[in-house]
Amino acid sequence: MHGGPGSSPEVVAPQVPQLRRRWAVALGVVGLALVVMPLAFNMFSAAPKGAVMMAQFKPFMTTTRLDGFQQDLRVINAGVRQADSGVAAALHGESQQSFDASFPTFAVFDQQWPAIDNTMTTLMDEVQGNQGNYEAISALPSFRLFPWFFVIPGALLLAIAVLLVRRPTWWRRWRAVLIVLGVALIVAPAAFQMFARAPKGGQMMSAFKHIETTQNVERIQGYFGTMAEGQGAIRLEIVPALEQAGLAPAQIHSEFPAVASLDAQWVHILNDMTPMIGAMSDNVANYQAISSLPPFPLFPWFFVLPGVIVAGVALAGGTSSSARQRVTATSTARSVPTYQGVS
Amino acid sequence: MKFRSVLVPLGVVVAAAASILSPQVASAASGQALVGTFKLNAGSCAGYSVGGTYFRMIFPNGNVKTGKFFDNPDSLCSNKSYTLAEPGADGGLVTGKYQPNPRPAFNAQGGSLANLIVQPQGFTAINFSIATNRIDPQTGKSVPAPQIINTKGKLSGQVEAWSAAWNKLYFNQGSPKPGGAHPGLTLPLSGTYNARTHAFVLTWTSQVVGGPFNGFTGYWHLTGTFVPSKGRG
Repeated sequence: MHGGPGSSPEVVAPQVPQLRRRWAVALGVVGLALVVMPLAFNMFSAAPKGAVMMAQFKPFMTTTRLDGFQQDLRVINAGVRQADSGVAAALHGESQQSFDASFPTFAVFDQQWPAIDNTMTTLMDEVQGNQGNYEAISALPSFRLFPWFFVIPGALLLAIAVLLVRRPTWWRRWRAVLIVLGVALIVAPAAFQMFARAPKGGQMMSAFKHIETTQNVERIQGYFGTMAEGQGAIRLEIVPALEQAGLAPAQIHSEFPAVASLDAQWVHILNDMTPMIGAMSDNVANYQAISSLPPFPLFPWFFVLPGVIVAGVALAGGTSSSARQRVTATSTARSVPTYQGVS
Repeated sequence: MKFRSVLVPLGVVVAAAASILSPQVASAASGQALVGTFKLNAGSCAGYSVGGTYFRMIFPNGNVKTGKFFDNPDSLCSNKSYTLAEPGADGGLVTGKYQPNPRPAFNAQGGSLANLIVQPQGFTAINFSIATNRIDPQTGKSVPAPQIINTKGKLSGQVEAWSAAWNKLYFNQGSPKPGGAHPGLTLPLSGTYNARTHAFVLTWTSQVVGGPFNGFTGYWHLTGTFVPSKGRG
């Protein structure tokens, strides 16, 4: 039986098929490793969760939104500071104690605000600092496809290896396919700029390690409650007190612009921040799933190394057989040739 | 044949034992579904005493008795953890049918416009309200219309479709949750019913699953008078 239509008979030494079988087994091992890797790392479960996380973060990871969050914090800070200083002085003169006693909810908030502001601003700085990293990861193919990037070439390689173990004389024909497959594995990470983007993804994952935790989310939920109470005290107690003291809304606006601005923008701040807290909360499990995967910077090498092995084996297999063929041809020039594919 | 002749009486014995050991199932089966409108009494505060229909929100890791409770600055009570409700256009909760969100469900500020069960109430400067929808807007799951059963003055049932809307977000606040689970502090609906006066008290808790208030638990306390649907006594 011949190797297939159009195949030319190859003169090989008797020991060459055995050698090629070994090469084919080696390729099979690489193929099997590629197939097994996504299963071993639970990629089929974790990668889609990563895709969900990336999609849910998308509306927030823009310069406009991130700048907006920082601005929200500045508006709150300015309003609190002005209420605590200018408004307190206007309502209670020099007596801060009297002001605090009259507005205990605000007083509690005022004490807690510096820590809240510091934590939230640091958090937003970290998130904003990772905007570029997020964009780099977003530019990669969807996380959902990642397991298949291993499984498909792995399965293909495995199939070719099985074929070549059974039919070592078909090596030459499949050698080109193997080289293409190997080169594709080597080139794919470069084509997708994985060498630059994957480390950025790693940086983002590291930065979010302390952000995407249940404990942190609950802390921010607590801050939200505190801020809502504090703003409520400004809106429903302090501003009415200013009005009772004889200030018209326009006067409050001109004399205490930061307080008025916080009041005016509070709903916008809630509109802005609440969905972000929701996205943070909803993605704790997704983040943890992704963080259980191998470090991002290793991913390009998960393609390159098998690619190098596959291409190398394909080339080596061809080279050694050619060399042996030459040796065999020299020593057995007048012997009866063996034809490829003859069973 | 011998095997079968043993199996049949065994099954009868098991069924009898189950009915004895499972009084809840038996009583639910023997209860009467109250189909109509649970007309709500408006929430009210007098000093530290709170009555009528109200809602409280418990922080994650808290409990129903001691909280920690979320303080709503817009509450009319001195204890800001109570958010009072006022009856909506339908007078309250209607069982056996849905009272869905309007379209649009929110105003430009994110305040809920749903007003059939309760009137929208301020919650940290943005109105929130309640609706019951065939498809729960938070989870996207199909949920049954509310059902409440009276068993000798004790109320049970389900309000799986009970959904709060606030700040352009939805929070399922039903019990059980869509799909039938009771996560965290979610407790089944319970209450009392006076068949003579039709006065009722309904309470349940529902843990928020997902979103910015994930892990918070809503405590719902509804009081009022039940008005049966026409044709039902």
